[in-house]
Amino acid sequence: MFCSRIVLQCDIMAASLAQLIEEGWGDYTMQQEEGEKIPCEKAALGEDRGIIIMSPSWTQLLFQILLLLVCCRHINTKTSGATPSPLAPVPTVARSVVLKGESQNETIEVLNPIKLELECTWTGDQDKLPNITVYWMKDENEIENSRLTVQLENEPYNLKREFSIEKEENLGTYSCVFENVSKINFILAAPQIGDVREKPIVSYVGDYVVMTCKMEESKPKPSSWNWYKKNGTDEEQIFPAEEPRYKIKNEDEKTKLVVHNLTEADSGLYYCGAVYAIATTKSPVKLKVITYWEPLKPFLAILAEVIVLVAIILLCEKSQSKKDGATGNETNADQTYTLTEGENKDQEGNSSVRQRKV
Amino acid sequence: MPPAAATNLGYTPPDGGWGWAVVFGGFISIGFSYAFPKSLTVYFKEIQEYFSVSYSEIAWVSSVMLASMYAGGPVSSILVNRYGSRPVVLLGGLMVGAAMVLASYGTTIIHLYVCVGLIGGFGLAFNLQPALTIIGTYFQVRRPLANGLAMTGSPVILFILAPLNQFLFDSFGWRGSFLILGSIGLNCCVAGALMRPVGKSIQPKPKTEPPECDAAVAEKAEAVDTTEQSASLQTEKGKSQSRSQSCVHRFIDLSLFTHRGFLIYLIGNVVMFFGFFAPLVFLAPYAKHQGFDDYSSALLLSILALADMFVRPATGFIGNSKWIRPRIQYFFSFAVSYSGVCHLLCPLASGYVGLVVYAVFSGLGFGMVSALLFEVLMDLVGAHRFSTAVGLVTIIECGPVLLGPPISGALVDISGEYKYMYYACGLFMLVPGIFLFIMHYYNYKKLDEEQRQSVAVEMKTSEETVKLQIGLDDKTAHEADR
Repeated sequence: MFCSRIVLQCDIMAASLAQLIEEGWGDYTMQQEEGEKIPCEKAALGEDRGIIIMSPSWTQLLFQILLLLVCCRHINTKTSGATPSPLAPVPTVARSVVLKGESQNETIEVLNPIKLELECTWTGDQDKLPNITVYWMKDENEIENSRLTVQLENEPYNLKREFSIEKEENLGTYSCVFENVSKINFILAAPQIGDVREKPIVSYVGDYVVMTCKMEESKPKPSSWNWYKKNGTDEEQIFPAEEPRYKIKNEDEKTKLVVHNLTEADSGLYYCGAVYAIATTKSPVKLKVITYWEPLKPFLAILAEVIVLVAIILLCEKSQSKKDGATGNETNADQTYTLTEGENKDQEGNSSVRQRKV
Repeated sequence: MPPAAATNLGYTPPDGGWGWAVVFGGFISIGFSYAFPKSLTVYFKEIQEYFSVSYSEIAWVSSVMLASMYAGGPVSSILVNRYGSRPVVLLGGLMVGAAMVLASYGTTIIHLYVCVGLIGGFGLAFNLQPALTIIGTYFQVRRPLANGLAMTGSPVILFILAPLNQFLFDSFGWRGSFLILGSIGLNCCVAGALMRPVGKSIQPKPKTEPPECDAAVAEKAEAVDTTEQSASLQTEKGKSQSRSQSCVHRFIDLSLFTHRGFLIYLIGNVVMFFGFFAPLVFLAPYAKHQGFDDYSSALLLSILALADMFVRPATGFIGNSKWIRPRIQYFFSFAVSYSGVCHLLCPLASGYVGLVVYAVFSGLGFGMVSALLFEVLMDLVGAHRFSTAVGLVTIIECGPVLLGPPISGALVDISGEYKYMYYACGLFMLVPGIFLFIMHYYNYKKLDEEQRQSVAVEMKTSEETVKLQIGLDDKTAHEADR
């Protein structure tokens, strides 16, 4: 019906009212604050968020508004999918979550600037308090003028707000909070690099090293890659053009930094950055440069151990066979080594019975 | 127990004493030979990035090492026959050490193929064969136990090397790790030092002139041989050849190919090796394919290795018992068939518990087969021809060992399912198992027959000798009387 048509576009008040204008229901103009949508109730009540200028045919208008009010209040819409707003050039993405329990996290991957509409639905508390306070937060700070006290009437309450995500500062954690207790966190971030190598890459002075970063196949590919070296507290970008020691080889989903002629000063933290329109995600890679002397120490220690053991075993054997020779047993000790071996082999070679008797 | 003369070794093997030190030396040598190529895979990813090569090019390093290890078998046999076990193992240890140290300075992937692959592989070959051979010279009565204990070296050393390699890699990168692995490989020289030739430990039985295995005295040796052989037991088919084989054919004893038992062993093993290693190689990927995480999949391999580790000495002990020892070939055939059945049943395993059960049972099977693998060869051909036999066996087995995993991998890629690979591997092991059962039944019958015949011949000749002696005594008595 007419009501249902309107209520389906409840969140795009401007569009629907514009339609009404065309249908000759009066002049409506709506002033909106930048980037924020007005909930149905507020629009109807005409609070400071928006100003509705009514045309002379106010009875018809009033009827329309009342209709809108009645229909809007009973909506529990879960809009999914992008519904592009004709006012904004950037796409709008909507996300809605139903809160189960005390707190919940939802991760949203953002590549390009978008208008993001977030909707939280809360099924209410056991205590069934009549009035509840709701507000939005960004990164642990309450967003100004977002606090509301609303009446809960035995039904789930849903809170909706649109945010403009254009720059890296706009990314972060947005939360809708109910009664200071229950909240849903929407974590906005550019795609993160999955497998991070925790242990450092070890290389040697004078050698070269290859450091790689890879974005998972399932995640969207960055437009390009950058590399940074940590210098004190800030990160300096590495430009191969300036320093021929460094070479960067980029492919769509992975990147390689090759550093030639390493010195011990090259040790430290490096970052590979995956560049997206909205932000650059960084991932650390640790490099450790050591001299050849480091592995040489254990090598020499084990070599010494081997020589000592072999010497002990052979010397013990020699002294034991000298003792045998001295006591006048068969002159095994005096025989040459190969002769003894050959003797044994030939004794064995005389016959070839399969040995299976015990 | 029958007297030591039945062993025809010409001396009584110590069956203990310094023999246990030799078993320990063999434990280390065999352990390094099998565990070293497998444990190097930890470095592959890093080396692959460093040299900018594909994964298959890096995997070739392992393949070349394994191939050299098997191909070096005959060379190793020749050297052991000529010089004995100890110098060959010492040389092998030095080669492994040098190979890894050279590899740590490598600048291209070819450098790694040559150093780690060729030189390292040959070094390991010079460790494996002599270690197996010398155990046969030290043990007779307790030989299955000694073999089982020595073969336990493989899983134990792998257990130690795998985390050690990871630690070395994290601390020193691949170059430093190769340097240190070189020094660890030199421990094979310690194992070699322990391999005292058995002639120095015991007194050889007094014999008429011990012929030397030297070309100059070959004719003399032959003359001595012919007189001795008429009285000794001869039950092998290659009777005429075995008379001359000890000296003239000291390089490579191709007469083994007419040896019935050896042929049965060879045919059975060649088919079996096609399906021997692949199930292990693909266990972790199969688990991941089923949806389990990396850690749980790797845990399956550890469970398999643990089962393997404990069952090897146990198998040696069982194989030594008086019920099994005379018919140890049946035990080996059973072990092979059991493994085959395990692999055939693997696709039925459901859930992680099923896979764990499979890992335990196939670990048992793997351990049993490995522990008996060389013991049964020794049992068939005898300790004196074992060195040559094992050389021939390893070079022929080189093919299936190298081709097995890639063929299985191709099966998985074509069908998209792992179960066909497990069915194929199961069949590759079950069929030789049954073949070995049947052929050894026939072989045992034939050997018993030949034994009876030769005993009869001996009885006859000894009777004649006694008659001759009595006749002679009578004659002298007669002359004395006159």
